[in-house]
Amino acid sequence: MPPALEIENLRKHFGGVSAVDGVSLALESGRIYGLIGPNGSGKTTLFNCITGVERRDAGRVAFNGERIDGLKPWVIAQKGIGRTFQVIRVFPELSALENLMVVTRGSRAAARARALELLTFVRLEGLRDEYAGNLSYGQQKLVEFVRVLMRDPSLILLDEPAAGVNRTLLNDLLDAVRRLRDRGKTILLVEHDMKVVMGLCETVFVLDHGEKIAEGPPGVIQTDERVIEAYFGR
Amino acid sequence: MSPRPAALAALAAVTLALAVYPEFGTGYGVRSTLQVFMWIVLASSWNLISGLTGYVSFGHVAFFGAGAYTGAILIAKAGWPWGLAALAGGLGACVLALAIGYPCLRLKGPYFAIAMLGLNEVLRALVSYFEDLTGGGNGLSLPTLDATVPIYYVMGASALLVTLVTYVIITSRFGLRLMTIREDEVAAEAMGIDTARHKLYAFLLSAAGPGVAGALTARDQGYIEPISVFPLATTITMIVMVLFGGKGTVWGPVLGAVVLFVAQEIVWARYPYVHPLLFGVIIIAVVLLMPRGVLGLLQIRYRLPRTI
Amino acid sequence: MNVFVTPAMLGQVVISGILSGALYAMVALGLALIFGVMRIINVAHGPLLMLGAYATFFLYSALGINPYLTVPVSMLVLFAVGVLLERTLVFRVVDAPELSSLLLTFGISIALVNLAQLLFTSDLRSVEYLTGSWVVGPLALSKARVVAFTVASALTGLSFLFLQRTRLGKAIRATSQNREVAMVCGIDVQRIHLVTFGLSAALAGAGGALIAVIVAIQPEMGQIWTFKSFLVIVLGGAGNYPGALLGGILLGLIEQLASLFLTTQLSEVVAYVLLVLILLVRPTGLLGGRQT
Repeated sequence: MPPALEIENLRKHFGGVSAVDGVSLALESGRIYGLIGPNGSGKTTLFNCITGVERRDAGRVAFNGERIDGLKPWVIAQKGIGRTFQVIRVFPELSALENLMVVTRGSRAAARARALELLTFVRLEGLRDEYAGNLSYGQQKLVEFVRVLMRDPSLILLDEPAAGVNRTLLNDLLDAVRRLRDRGKTILLVEHDMKVVMGLCETVFVLDHGEKIAEGPPGVIQTDERVIEAYFGR
Repeated sequence: MSPRPAALAALAAVTLALAVYPEFGTGYGVRSTLQVFMWIVLASSWNLISGLTGYVSFGHVAFFGAGAYTGAILIAKAGWPWGLAALAGGLGACVLALAIGYPCLRLKGPYFAIAMLGLNEVLRALVSYFEDLTGGGNGLSLPTLDATVPIYYVMGASALLVTLVTYVIITSRFGLRLMTIREDEVAAEAMGIDTARHKLYAFLLSAAGPGVAGALTARDQGYIEPISVFPLATTITMIVMVLFGGKGTVWGPVLGAVVLFVAQEIVWARYPYVHPLLFGVIIIAVVLLMPRGVLGLLQIRYRLPRTI
Repeated sequence: MNVFVTPAMLGQVVISGILSGALYAMVALGLALIFGVMRIINVAHGPLLMLGAYATFFLYSALGINPYLTVPVSMLVLFAVGVLLERTLVFRVVDAPELSSLLLTFGISIALVNLAQLLFTSDLRSVEYLTGSWVVGPLALSKARVVAFTVASALTGLSFLFLQRTRLGKAIRATSQNREVAMVCGIDVQRIHLVTFGLSAALAGAGGALIAVIVAIQPEMGQIWTFKSFLVIVLGGAGNYPGALLGGILLGLIEQLASLFLTTQLSEVVAYVLLVLILLVRPTGLLGGRQT
């Protein structure tokens, strides 16, 4: 079976700066991966290249064996890749319910049912008709999280899911992520919170200055010299 | 989420009143109401693309002009009945929208606006160039025909239709998807929404109305020339009406059309140069103080449904 | 359609293109500055140029002096106008969605044009000062255009020196590259916006002053300049200031070449189609530059 996601020698530069400089990695399905690295190491750019938000300059990206580099973002999303954003991007003037319903096609009733189901899952069904822009930070984060699940993607990219989230909510989120993994989904998350990464991820990739400098289980990564150097300098 | 019976009854009453108005209204009254219908068509159509998707179409009057010339040419040169010519006008405008929209809607916000700004001038240049067909700068005359009352009805029906279409769209998921383009296009695309196709559909829909209205107006006036059907003032007026009434709402453009037309007729027609200046000031005021327009403001303040 | 083209005609066209190109470049630089620093598309740019032309006209009519001496005055007046506009209106939409700034400057442009129509009427005015051409071999160079070229080039050069060498200029460039970082570095971003807008208006005013000697002056004259300035920015790349220079020359050349083979009416169409094509293929402009 082909890996859920395979990236080969991806490059992306902006002007003179190489944001992603020859990154290669592979994700097996049904596992949780972490992507860490100091600020500016290229993590979000990598996400953007995978999901088609940015046009990569070189390299290939394959999803379940099928090449997806160069495709439009919505085509990639329709193939089964979902993502959240570093800065929350809900649709502020749509209600929480509408934020979810707008994602799927097909029967309106079915979409509404599924949306309600997901909102109930994160205990937000009471706020379903509230404008998403009026929700609190944590609530918006949850809406964005379940919005991704509307299409039932098989690969989920989470960009800093723990940022600004309180402990209880965070535990719920992480639980949800584990349950998704148990259902066979592949998850890749960018995170700065090391406890989250160590506790959740089975394999961790480390980026620095656009290059992958380490790859392995969290315990090993923690003690890797290059990783320590990247974060704290020599 | 169906509208309350009281609202429907009110709407029916108004429609009935307008339907029988030509029987006992003055010629001036009928012409003016016809003009209001035209502005409703224009403003509501502009709302479909610019109010819902946030892609500001600065050259929208180009579709009015394209429809006017398509209709006029078919009537004058090919002897078509004006009803059919009006439909052809709408179709012609849609074709133009497809030709322009397909490339231009890929452009991000400000670049799209720039491209649309130039559209008007280019069409005017093209009309002047193809003189044989369009009469060039001398204009095009249509065979005389007094069809003001039938045109009143057709324009009125068009206004009703565009408003209905707006209502249907806003209450549908298609409309929601259009709005996500306005809210956050990148997020919308990441969620699997084909923004290119949606923008194009909205754009095509927004061109049909002005196209038909243009052809009808051409028939009613009996004569068109480039300056009369491609004036920047028309685009400005369209925009002000929607901004004032409330962009992205169903009745906002209608409110804006009625209020500003009435005000224009009563007060400003006497001072031809102040009136556009005033429009400029109104645009500035609305953008800074009331960017959501009257209905938009009420919608937020009193948590009214989106179908206002 | 002209099929037989002599080298002399071609040379004439190229020279004319370069002459007008410098003017386009200078005016477009103003627009590019605002776009780069404030992320605003100033639809009122053309009308500002128009005001500069009127300033020159009135000074010339009242004082009878060499209109080229009024260039600095037009620039100063327009700088003041620009600062006023920014301080009262534009600053409110700097961080607003694009639609707001587009519509606001659109409203301002309508207000300015119609104000001009009210105050100055739409009668055509002209400044009859430097007419005729210098003949160099087979080429005829319009005197007024040559002077305009020289002054525009000088002003553009000065602008670049300003941007590169002075502290304020560097601050402007820093702000246009990354506003947050500029703020952290202690740059007063509000002041930068103010100055940039004023500067942009001044450049437009200079353009107006120079063009006043060449074309008829009327309230609507600026509209086409707004559009052409956009074209230049697209040709040269958004946010790419030297690109504006190249874009200006390119536009001048393309225009002149097009008018050689097509009627002037169609050359506008050509320019427009070109704009759309370029935006399609390279949405960040011919020479690249940043994404908005």
